[in-house]
Amino acid sequence: MHAPLKFTNHRIEEYALKVTYRPEDDTGKIIYNLSLIESRDLEFALSVMKEAHKRGITISDRLLVTGPGGQVGGYTVPDGRHGICTMCSITLDALLLQRGIPASPIGGGIVEVDGRVAQRFTSMILYRDTTLDPLEVLISQEATSILDVMRRGKGNILANIRECHMEAEQLLGTVLDELSAIGFSGILDVGAPNVPLLGVPVSPQYIGVAMVGGTNAMAAVREAGRPVVTRALKGLIDIREMDYLDDY
Amino acid sequence: MTPSIRSERKYLEILRILAESHEPLGAKRLSEKMAERGFVLSDRAVQYYLQYLDEMGFTEKVGNRGRLLTEAGIAESESALVDQRLGFIISRLEQLAFRSTFDPSTATGSVAYNLSFVREEDLQAVTAAFDEVAAAGYGFLNAYRIVDADPRIPDGHAGIMTACSVTLDGVLQKMGIPTRLEYAGRIAVDEHGAAGFLDLIGYRGTSVDPLHLFISAGLTSINRLVTTRAGVALANVRAVPAAARYRVEVTVGLMEECGFTFPAGGGIGEFNLPKHPYRLSVVALSGMNMVGNAIEKGYTIKTEIGAGTVPFEKIADATGSR
Repeated sequence: MHAPLKFTNHRIEEYALKVTYRPEDDTGKIIYNLSLIESRDLEFALSVMKEAHKRGITISDRLLVTGPGGQVGGYTVPDGRHGICTMCSITLDALLLQRGIPASPIGGGIVEVDGRVAQRFTSMILYRDTTLDPLEVLISQEATSILDVMRRGKGNILANIRECHMEAEQLLGTVLDELSAIGFSGILDVGAPNVPLLGVPVSPQYIGVAMVGGTNAMAAVREAGRPVVTRALKGLIDIREMDYLDDY
Repeated sequence: MTPSIRSERKYLEILRILAESHEPLGAKRLSEKMAERGFVLSDRAVQYYLQYLDEMGFTEKVGNRGRLLTEAGIAESESALVDQRLGFIISRLEQLAFRSTFDPSTATGSVAYNLSFVREEDLQAVTAAFDEVAAAGYGFLNAYRIVDADPRIPDGHAGIMTACSVTLDGVLQKMGIPTRLEYAGRIAVDEHGAAGFLDLIGYRGTSVDPLHLFISAGLTSINRLVTTRAGVALANVRAVPAAARYRVEVTVGLMEECGFTFPAGGGIGEFNLPKHPYRLSVVALSGMNMVGNAIEKGYTIKTEIGAGTVPFEKIADATGSR
């Protein structure tokens, strides 16, 4: 018998309930994505991640690298591979919900960037309508050009969007400021109440918040022709187990 | 800065009309087509819009015959106004469901089809892959038709028509049964024929074709299914009123007699789909399973989903693999 299907908005909410991350004292659990690369590509992947972080298309400089045979959340990294855990952008939704901000995730898609500025979503899959993580499947569409965004400031990246009630605008601003102060870097754009953000409409009296996907750097590695398998929304991990990009 | 369409719905509609046309269209013809879609514009206004689109590099004049989309225009029609493109695929499919005229009691009328483009040198291997799916009974209709004289087919390519499962929705509608195409999904089938969904994408919540997404993300194992009887295929799900159950069962039975195939139990029932007390789910195998099998084998195929309608006998008799 197959289990009833779980749509991504439900999966996000379930994870959000389990996040215990406290950015101010850098403790607790965050949501991570897991990417598998060939071990020989590790140096290359790390250099791409560093570059992507410099260009602002990662959401955090925290990562966990696990070698062949190593364990991540009960998963054993196969021979000849390395596992790289990065922070999932849904961690942001969890943080907003925990602060009592009425927020709901809308969907994930592809954002066109020009002149280093996010212009508009060109593809979108709504979370309530999919059981798959949109960004995980969109990577395979070869519709991203993250390397171009890194080099020339122009191309397509993975991103997602959520909306918050405008009543919480001030608190939202405070939380986002706190997060950027501690290196949470991936906020693409915050809209005005009732105004579509990057072409995506919001509910009446809501504000859109767009954020870069947590797997852009890994998608960039894939664009460079290196094999990468990414699983978004993989699970929860203690932030203290994660290292800093600068350590590599 | 690359030009793009930000706010004007009418620009996108003009691009869409030109994208669907395979010949240049003039302002007069465009203004008629716009009016059919609820955008009433004078020829002069259309001229103004076209001039702007020319300046943006999205359209170009072809002598005095009218305008064609440029490469940039095609890309823009697939990128602009994302909210207007959520649910656009389903709207195209619904149009075809309405246009198809198939009558399962007489096995006559037209069926909706998908049109796949295959490099000529790959044609033989690709049709062999299609045949595998047909022989195992995992196409929506276990037949396809090769077409070569069609303006939509690029040079050096052949076209293959496969029956599109919105034909079922057309049949139900014509019997007065309201049907709503909800999801595209990937369905796991085991050796005993039992089936359950692994993933679903709601047609109204995506700007990207979900079936292409499943195939390109490597989430199908159609080849394993057709060779070992256990694997993962593509299917889609529509909801009908639960009160129509008996009529739907009869219809599905008639369609099966015409050669259409449905998963476990005629595709009617709950599977592991979201439940609704007054709705019944009807699952049909996707016509894209044939295409998926060939792509899994490494062939490059582009497919236009819901490309048109074709008389049933023209597709059913074409390969005779039933």
